[in-house]
Amino acid sequence: MSDVPAALPAGPSWFAGDAERHLLDAPKHCPHCGGRLAGQAGLVVEYWVADDRVFYCWCQACDWTGTVIQVERHVGHEAAG
Amino acid sequence: MLTAEQNAELTRVGPGTPMGELLRRYWYPVAFTRQLDQFPVRRVRLLGEDWALYRTSDGGYGVVEEHCPHRRASLAYGVVEADGIRCGYHGWLFGRDGTCLDQPAEMDKTSFKDRVRARAGRAEELGGMVWVYVGPEPAPLPPRYDVYVMDGVRDFGHALLPCNWLQIMENAVDPHHVEWLHGRYFEFLGNRLGFEAPKSFQRRHIKVAFDEFEHGIIKRRLLEGHTEADDDWAIGHPLVFPYCMRVGGAGIDQMQIRVPVDDTTTWFVLYTVHAPEGARFEPQEAIPDYELPWRDEQGNHIVDYVEGQDIMAWVTQGPITDRTVEHLGKSDVGIAMLRKQFKQQLAAVAAGRDPIAVVRDPAANHRIDLPCEKNKFGAGADFALQWMNLGFTRYSPQLKDLLRLHTDAAEARAAAVGADV
Repeated sequence: MSDVPAALPAGPSWFAGDAERHLLDAPKHCPHCGGRLAGQAGLVVEYWVADDRVFYCWCQACDWTGTVIQVERHVGHEAAG
Repeated sequence: MLTAEQNAELTRVGPGTPMGELLRRYWYPVAFTRQLDQFPVRRVRLLGEDWALYRTSDGGYGVVEEHCPHRRASLAYGVVEADGIRCGYHGWLFGRDGTCLDQPAEMDKTSFKDRVRARAGRAEELGGMVWVYVGPEPAPLPPRYDVYVMDGVRDFGHALLPCNWLQIMENAVDPHHVEWLHGRYFEFLGNRLGFEAPKSFQRRHIKVAFDEFEHGIIKRRLLEGHTEADDDWAIGHPLVFPYCMRVGGAGIDQMQIRVPVDDTTTWFVLYTVHAPEGARFEPQEAIPDYELPWRDEQGNHIVDYVEGQDIMAWVTQGPITDRTVEHLGKSDVGIAMLRKQFKQQLAAVAAGRDPIAVVRDPAANHRIDLPCEKNKFGAGADFALQWMNLGFTRYSPQLKDLLRLHTDAAEARAAAVGADV
């Protein structure tokens, strides 16, 4: 079974693009045990911090909770003034 | 943001749904005791199903599926008898456990009634409300949370709201909304409409935190000008899984109850006990219950009081919030945690275990004290007066008495301090 639903949210909608990216980019497997997160096996809640897309994940198989952050561009810290 | 599938899993409460199975592990208040005292049977709706709730002459309570197993007439129009409820249509009598005790139009000595049974739950009175349990046996105990059993002057405001219970529960792990909905927005309204909004609600949040515990999630906030030693951070207050929030301050203790009536209806009850330190009060002959107005004649939300603002936010999210198009931020981490807690408890039930906050030990159920700040928002005793005058209590038939209770208590405390000096 594909993890990508056949039917993505219908447009036109301001939010449709984000909802589509969520369906495509949300982690499908637990970083800890590899168990499935998609569907009813786990939970992936997406939230945003500045430019970062953060996926809050819970794995039903191993009870691991953590966040996965999709990296678009690596930026280091600024040196202290 | 969630998928449509996960949103449905978290919000559908009917029989046979995963969430419906989880929520059926808990007791729910469905009526005020006063209502059954006035008339001993009434229809109630809970988790997408209709029930007939009744009180027998010996003071016991029963609850059965609304429709009679005979010809499906409503048992909410039945005759309450000492040992159960008799259908008003043909007189079939059902005991509290659903056993069919009598079929007066059938032949004597028939075993027909032994083959018929009404689906029955359990019903009990606690703290001025009638509670029912409609889940699998063995039934847990109705949890005797502190607010339900403490001494004080009780006051029940309530409203039937056209939205799913989960979006109301998510509000309970969303501390930041206070500074905006009850702070900046309230101030904006006050400036436009000519009243003074409560300053204590306007403090800026420096940080928020959430801790899971055996009855749900404790929510903490550090407000501008406060330290981590202040009550709002050091103690906080809990979301009580799966449908309540314990809140209070300055001698007011409250359980905000959000009963999932069905997928798109929630009964919101503000179960409130006033017991400020130094107060003197007599046992109440009757507890006032009153419906909160939340829409005006034009159909617009009434937003010039605290809970009316909450109701606006909950109801305008739609009957069931579409979480596939939400955009959460870092300040919403409590919401993500709550969804995880629901998922964990869904899994526990699917595995045949009790979910959290199911109480079975009578010794642990004498009184369950929940953590709750006393010095709310650092406002001291003023918080009580602000909350009553600019919150739902303004609609209470005993508002004047409650205001006097708090002012007299404040004077008694001041006099006691003076006497000590």
